[in-house]
Amino acid sequence: MMTKDQYIESLRKLKLNLYMFGEKVENPVDDPVIRPSLNSFAATYELAEDPQYEDLMTATSHITGKKINRFTHMHQSTDDLIRKVKMQRLLGQKTAACFQRCVGMDAMNAVFSSTYEIDEACGTKYHENFVKFLTRVQEEDLAVDGAMTDVKGDRSLAPSKQADPDLFLHVVERTADGVYVTGAKAHQTGFVNSHEVLVMPTISMREGDEDYAISFAIPTDSEGITLIYGRQSCDTRKTEQYNDIDVGNKVYGGHEVLVIFDHVFVPNDRIFLNGEVKFAGMIVERFAGYHRQSYGGCKVGVGDVLIGATALAGDMAGSSKASHVKDKLIEMTHLNETLYCCGIACSSQGTKTKAGNYLIDLLLANVCKQNVTRFPYEIARLAQDLAGGLMVTQPSEADYRNPALKPYIEKYLKGVASVPTEDRMRVLRLIENMTMGTAAVGYLPESMHGAGSPQAQRIMIARQSNLEMKKELAKKIARIQ
Amino acid sequence: MLRCTVKFCGGCNPRFDRGEAYRTVCTSLSDAASFSYPEDGAQYDVLLIIRGCTGCSYLYEDINAAHRVILDAKDGIEQAIETIRQLA
Repeated sequence: MMTKDQYIESLRKLKLNLYMFGEKVENPVDDPVIRPSLNSFAATYELAEDPQYEDLMTATSHITGKKINRFTHMHQSTDDLIRKVKMQRLLGQKTAACFQRCVGMDAMNAVFSSTYEIDEACGTKYHENFVKFLTRVQEEDLAVDGAMTDVKGDRSLAPSKQADPDLFLHVVERTADGVYVTGAKAHQTGFVNSHEVLVMPTISMREGDEDYAISFAIPTDSEGITLIYGRQSCDTRKTEQYNDIDVGNKVYGGHEVLVIFDHVFVPNDRIFLNGEVKFAGMIVERFAGYHRQSYGGCKVGVGDVLIGATALAGDMAGSSKASHVKDKLIEMTHLNETLYCCGIACSSQGTKTKAGNYLIDLLLANVCKQNVTRFPYEIARLAQDLAGGLMVTQPSEADYRNPALKPYIEKYLKGVASVPTEDRMRVLRLIENMTMGTAAVGYLPESMHGAGSPQAQRIMIARQSNLEMKKELAKKIARIQ
Repeated sequence: MLRCTVKFCGGCNPRFDRGEAYRTVCTSLSDAASFSYPEDGAQYDVLLIIRGCTGCSYLYEDINAAHRVILDAKDGIEQAIETIRQLA
């Protein structure tokens, strides 16, 4: 396995074609806006080295029998699925941000089982290709971005019917050695911190969409790939002279990028789906299921930090003994643990796929994510309620560092006498960061839209609700023939 | 001197500082036991399993140890120390 330092050094060797704020970024690793997201990703390597966490952070490869990072593991049991969720909660607690590596893990588990079944039905060799790729990922402990979401253009039209054919990523040229693809993937979490990208189709497809039914993996710095870094609320605070208190979370963060593929070559042995339209939906459904399970871990860990910060804000203001404060903290905990229950439940009810890895219970995973589209917003609302208005009206760190102003700020922003004013400012900025600053991207809109927007889960819940059986139950009780 | 090893279980929502508990056990037993992280194939007198909560159940059967001592709460540290000391 790679150490944290080895991982960071490996990223320096990537030749990413990355742009941010209109300019090319030559050194993403040391860029102050990007670095916090790298630190979060690096935590997935760092904790795997720590004996206190190796039980959750590592696993035994079913291919080589060697110890590997769990983020590269194919789940071999329901216990593995449960440990995955616990690992994600742990990392959310340690970073208070999106640590980005789950997408690749979920994509690999989905493509692993899907390629096996595609080969079985179509006589293709995709699973062999994928296992070869996976073995290298495990051996070298690579970071993999899972790329599903196309930009999609007109939502009422199929991929092949769009006015611009590139609005869904597709094959534009076929040669004896492979294919060339063009298109774009949006919202790519952690791409800048990844060595490889695993591309998947974004929706179920029909006859006529063959060029769009494509899955493959290539290096993130492949020729023809351009990245445009996503803006986050308050992101330029990280570049200010005083960039400690005001950023809320100095060390960790997350990122998304728009990834453009402009006539990018994919060699044959890196292709995992190529025109078999009826299997695009299988990959989508399985990836979405795994990723909806993931949110029952990672967002819970981030929620743990937010609950802790809110409780601290109460302690520092002297309000922690008020009954409504206690009750709101209980409500936040109840909501957070409910999400965890869903993550654990869909894992414990997982089943073995034909390929041998385990898939979560899809109904429960979709229920999990449906709750995630709501509860973090309520937890954040309660955090803002208890934090008070000072969270957004307190002076800047630059003012606090000004010798003429500091005594006033120290005096008038003081809460409980024994608590340093600076500590109170830090906790309030952390709550701001998580509920409306850079980390809110990961905690709120990502909870809403990541792994699919709420309606996508409702469609899956409808499909799996087993309504006819429920009608029969009611008929029997009501004595209806 | 007892040859002891340790496995940490949990860590996602621990009820106490497992690392601090481990350090306390090591320090308290420095005259009677030596601790190290498990190595493949090694034989130990004691496997100390430090669980972050009572929800963990792993016994780490793959580790060869004559005795298994479970520590799953802060107020169980003294009991674990006493149990290992009696094995010495």
